[in-house]
Amino acid sequence: MNGRTGIKGTAGLLARLAVAGVFIYAGVTKALAPAEEFGYAIEGYRVLSPHLSLVAAHLVPWLELYTGLLLAAGIFTRLSAAFAAAMLILFEALLGQAWLRHLPITSCGCFGSSGSNSITREFLQNLVLLALAAAAFRRGGAFSADHAADKK
Amino acid sequence: MISQKNARLATLAFFLIFVSTIAVLMARQLNLGPTRPSPAFRAFGPEKAPVQIYEYTDFSCPACRHAAGDMDGLLRIYGQSVHFSFKHYPLLNIHPWSLHAAAYADCAGEQGKFREYAALLFENQEKWALAKTEPVEFKQYALSLKLDWPKMTACSGAPETLKRIELDIAEADIKGVNATPTFFINGKRAVGSGQLLEQAAKFDNLPGIRK
Repeated sequence: MNGRTGIKGTAGLLARLAVAGVFIYAGVTKALAPAEEFGYAIEGYRVLSPHLSLVAAHLVPWLELYTGLLLAAGIFTRLSAAFAAAMLILFEALLGQAWLRHLPITSCGCFGSSGSNSITREFLQNLVLLALAAAAFRRGGAFSADHAADKK
Repeated sequence: MISQKNARLATLAFFLIFVSTIAVLMARQLNLGPTRPSPAFRAFGPEKAPVQIYEYTDFSCPACRHAAGDMDGLLRIYGQSVHFSFKHYPLLNIHPWSLHAAAYADCAGEQGKFREYAALLFENQEKWALAKTEPVEFKQYALSLKLDWPKMTACSGAPETLKRIELDIAEADIKGVNATPTFFINGKRAVGSGQLLEQAAKFDNLPGIRK
């Protein structure tokens, strides 16, 4: 193992890969499906207009995919982990307000139409991911492109 | 000034983003994306059947009418081994009433008679498809099937109904559907009855097929 050896380094690496995996999966499933589908899911949160929901539906899957890939490869690891955490906080805010307003959302739209969780489950899952993103931010440098570039 | 390290990392990031974008766009064209299930009233046959068929069709299209007969024939023969999902793809620019027909058919479906209403639409397509004003046939068919017409008219204009059709259209667009009827038979594309029957001729060779 490189620079950050030991249990903490390994835990950071695993956390980074876990967050990356979820982001890549969420991004790909939604990018392969029509944006309108995710757009309707976003509309359900009643925060954005239909037009802006569709714009967001076109953008978010790609942002998730790219963030996941950068995290997996360990490119600008801390920046990628911070961006992932920022996205998760935004998702939590959306889910939280939907929960507080008792909006009739049965599927969050997070993983496309094929496998979306309920609001509560997604909220809890995102909390775990947020903790993992924090771990990746602090100790996710093992086996990263950042580290390899440092060595050169 | 950008350090050499950051420049290397930025190049690598750009490469990853470029390659992943191309890969996803290609996967869309190859129909590797998920397909939304049709509502229960538009899906026929066992869910876990060895043959999964999705048809993107338009009630105003003559080729779709022809294909509907062939599809019925296939379901009669392979009904136990085929799961058939009906998807709307109304060609809005050339068929003025196909969106209405799709909406009414879905609303008939909500009252348990999608198949019967769809059959009437296809059988009598020439009577209504190119009408100048909203065809009276939509109501006639509903009444002949003893459907609740006021409920159907309310349903046909409901955002949920139109949303469902729009999602079918968006899904077809992302899969590169540009002609009707287009079938996806276990993921393999077939356009028109000829290609459908060509692929159906191979059903007997598939494992788990029952007639």
